Amino acid sequence: MLPGEGVGSLVPNHAVKTKIFSFGLSQFVPRQDEVNSMIDFLGLHSLDDLFSEIPSSVRKKNTMIHGKNSEYAVIRDAENTASLNAFDGYTSFLGSGYYDRIVPTSVDSIISRSEFITSYTPYQPEVSQGLLQALFEYQSVMSDLTGMDVTNSSMYDGHTALGEAVRMAHGVNGKQRVLVPSNISSTKLSVIGNYAAGINVRIEKYKVSNDTGYIDMDHLGSLMGDDVSAIVTENPNSYGILDPNVSRVHEIKKNALLISYFDPVSLALVRPPGDYGADIAVGEGQQLGIHLSYGGPYLGIFSFKREHMRKAPGRLIGETTDTNGKRAFVMTLQTREQHIRRERATSNICTNQALMAIAALSYLAILGPNGLKGVATSTMENSRKLRSDVVSLVKGSKAPFSGTNFSDVVLRLKMNEEDLAATLRKNKILGGIPLNRILSEPDQNRAHDFVFSVTEKTDQSQIERLVSALEVA
Amino acid sequence: MSYHQAEYDEPLLNQFKSGSTYRVDSGHDPADLGIPKEIVRGNLNLPDVAEYDVVRHFTRLSQMNFGVDVGFYPLGSCTMKFNPKFADQITSSHAFRDSHPLAPEEYVQGNLRVVYELQEYLKELSDMDFVSVQPLAGAHGEFSAILVARKYFEDTNQPERTEVVIPDSAHGTNPASAAMGGFRVVEIPSDSEGKVNLKALEAALSEKTAVFMITNPNTLGIFDDQIEKIAEMVHNVGAVLYYDGANFNAILGRTSPGLMGFDIVHFNLHKTFATPHGGGGPGAGPIAVKSKFRDYLPVPIVGLKDGKYFLDFSAKKSIGRVSGTIGSFGVLLRAWSYIRYHGADGLKENSSIAVLNTNYLKKKIEGKYEVPFYRLKKHEFVLSTSNTGRRAADVAKYVLDHGMHPPTVYFPMLVHESMMIEPTESVSRQDLDRYAGILMEALDESPEELKNRPVNTPVTRIDEVKAARDLKVRW
Repeated sequence: MLPGEGVGSLVPNHAVKTKIFSFGLSQFVPRQDEVNSMIDFLGLHSLDDLFSEIPSSVRKKNTMIHGKNSEYAVIRDAENTASLNAFDGYTSFLGSGYYDRIVPTSVDSIISRSEFITSYTPYQPEVSQGLLQALFEYQSVMSDLTGMDVTNSSMYDGHTALGEAVRMAHGVNGKQRVLVPSNISSTKLSVIGNYAAGINVRIEKYKVSNDTGYIDMDHLGSLMGDDVSAIVTENPNSYGILDPNVSRVHEIKKNALLISYFDPVSLALVRPPGDYGADIAVGEGQQLGIHLSYGGPYLGIFSFKREHMRKAPGRLIGETTDTNGKRAFVMTLQTREQHIRRERATSNICTNQALMAIAALSYLAILGPNGLKGVATSTMENSRKLRSDVVSLVKGSKAPFSGTNFSDVVLRLKMNEEDLAATLRKNKILGGIPLNRILSEPDQNRAHDFVFSVTEKTDQSQIERLVSALEVA
Repeated sequence: MSYHQAEYDEPLLNQFKSGSTYRVDSGHDPADLGIPKEIVRGNLNLPDVAEYDVVRHFTRLSQMNFGVDVGFYPLGSCTMKFNPKFADQITSSHAFRDSHPLAPEEYVQGNLRVVYELQEYLKELSDMDFVSVQPLAGAHGEFSAILVARKYFEDTNQPERTEVVIPDSAHGTNPASAAMGGFRVVEIPSDSEGKVNLKALEAALSEKTAVFMITNPNTLGIFDDQIEKIAEMVHNVGAVLYYDGANFNAILGRTSPGLMGFDIVHFNLHKTFATPHGGGGPGAGPIAVKSKFRDYLPVPIVGLKDGKYFLDFSAKKSIGRVSGTIGSFGVLLRAWSYIRYHGADGLKENSSIAVLNTNYLKKKIEGKYEVPFYRLKKHEFVLSTSNTGRRAADVAKYVLDHGMHPPTVYFPMLVHESMMIEPTESVSRQDLDRYAGILMEALDESPEELKNRPVNTPVTRIDEVKAARDLKVRW
């Protein structure tokens, strides 16, 4: 049998065949003579003896996976697999919560530091001060960005952060109704539903205006009562619209908690949740120096009012001193967490997204306030141009919502979904996701509404390419 | 080898005044953008630091941090093995790194192939039938699995199943995940050998039991050879047997959760398949199920038809989404790379060596430290410092001073003054001998002297009480 060839495999070994120069059992394990001497030391005869207590009835006979490959072969194989991705040369208008932004090369360099990337949760703070200080800084910067009192040291992604926020609100007030916008995405609604499966809450929708794309304050007001646990708002929302009404919700919230889902880049220009009475602010941190990577790893930002700190999920880093009075950092309030509190913990989260938090922190530090404003400003100029160019140049098209866009623009086109897909494919353009595919409540009247998204990377020629593709079709 | 960690009095990021040097196309005047006046931001107070200072700051901070690449890191239950660098390189390839999660399937066939093949690998290694890679960490996988079980019992009209049974040796995430899913947790004690107490299990199981959650081998490093009996008992009352895959590195290629009779499993890709732990994350926690539970899995999973990979949403009773995307693709890709490199034989060898190292180190320190539950151990073992008159935390601080990472301390809770040691396969005999030496030398210091450890680190013992009292969690 050649190296790299298994006895038979469910997964083809499409790796390049190379000779494996074997100096040991593999790259990661010691030499055979060392192994033998350790087996002798234990008074055993073979490695198999280490597994003698496994009943023969449950022993694995074989594993139908190919054999070993060299590092070179795996890299080549991965490159060949990557080449099956066929978006090179395409102009992308994909967004809807995840954005192709410029990632400063220094961010990748920082999070590639061996000492960060190969460490784990700082259970031993004396040898983890670097990570702990970085996470303390992340908590601080993110609290300043969101205008909130406190930020935990990360959640998995924006969606799960939102789910945890709904659970936390119920933990704070014990009430039963959670109000979400009618245009919330099906994905967010599903995640909230799953996170709320174990608590006694009912999710209800309040209306969002079909004209402005703003929260229908009258309808939201009519749903309010003493039994509302939380009101969820989004800014920008699933229509891509920046909604002034999010700043008015706290006036009617009674004892409910206001949960604000925000876009972190927009906060360079847009009033932060802490400024309009949010109790919990959550968002997707991917845009802050984290590559798209087809879905992750991303970053759940989770900020809240100080009074709710003991009900919060996730790890918190606190500043303190060592025995010499020197400043030091350590994980704190661990009595909320699963490894101490077990079934009474505020959440089950253990592994989080610490490295991505450092990416977001270094991104914000490298850009600085003016850099972040520049990114947000360019984005908004691009979304405005995209919207006005399509509406003015593509016959029969319109922007169904009068409100201002941030990154995402909903456009109502004459053509249907299939024709649009064919047109975009022909012109090597990605994007134009049918709005109904995003919404949790698809609407017949929105069959011709499509989402196109921009970032600061989008340039004039790309917008022109889109417009001319739509014009001709 | 002497050891001193780098020590900087590193200012906080907001103390740097060098001003951003990063070039951004700043656009025009934000005042013209049409942001409704009610929601225009006032002051934006962020650090304003030159790129060179940012890089220096984080480089210095990284030097005050211990990782697997710095030294031996036998943190029990965390499987801190070597993270191969080729996986990092693969993940940074443009075609993977810059693909959008909402890109249509036809444009991301490479990504989908990776996920599909990873699903196949995990199925084959675990002898389970279907896999969803969506959960983003081990605990998230547990929670997803609990939701799958919950949906199954709803769907089969068994609302009376409200309890999840868990041994006292379980990871804290198990009871926390069960509680998050709305179940009542029933904890059962271990027997005198550290295994599941069958009498206690029998007493705990009833028509109210939804799930029995265990890991095998358990957190004591003990493989429970009663597993078939356990599976039979759990299934006899109509409950689900759940496998916490945190300790899967102990048994790769030797046995599997599927063969042992488990119904639902989660994997910790960052542990078993060597994706870097990132200072606390990211990880990934795919789950696998037997056919009976296929229809409840989170969607989408990746399918293959006529040579094309596609996102399969066909699970009609699916719990839906547990996160925003298909999963943590960058982590999945690293695990795929690791498995492709090692193949079936390499994975089995890695497990074998991890177990060899554990038993070697255990034998080295036995006699000096008490190792309760005298049995062959698997991927990790638990010692107690009780017999030495020293606290586990103090011995751990002694280890810190010698350039290696201490074991997990005070877990599992059923052992007093416990230290849980998991060497993994990526450590030499030389370093194992050194580690045993350090643990034994620690006993040469009096309990009082140990209280003064560590001294070779940038800070000495930290006042955790003050941290919890002041709650200074930001600048």
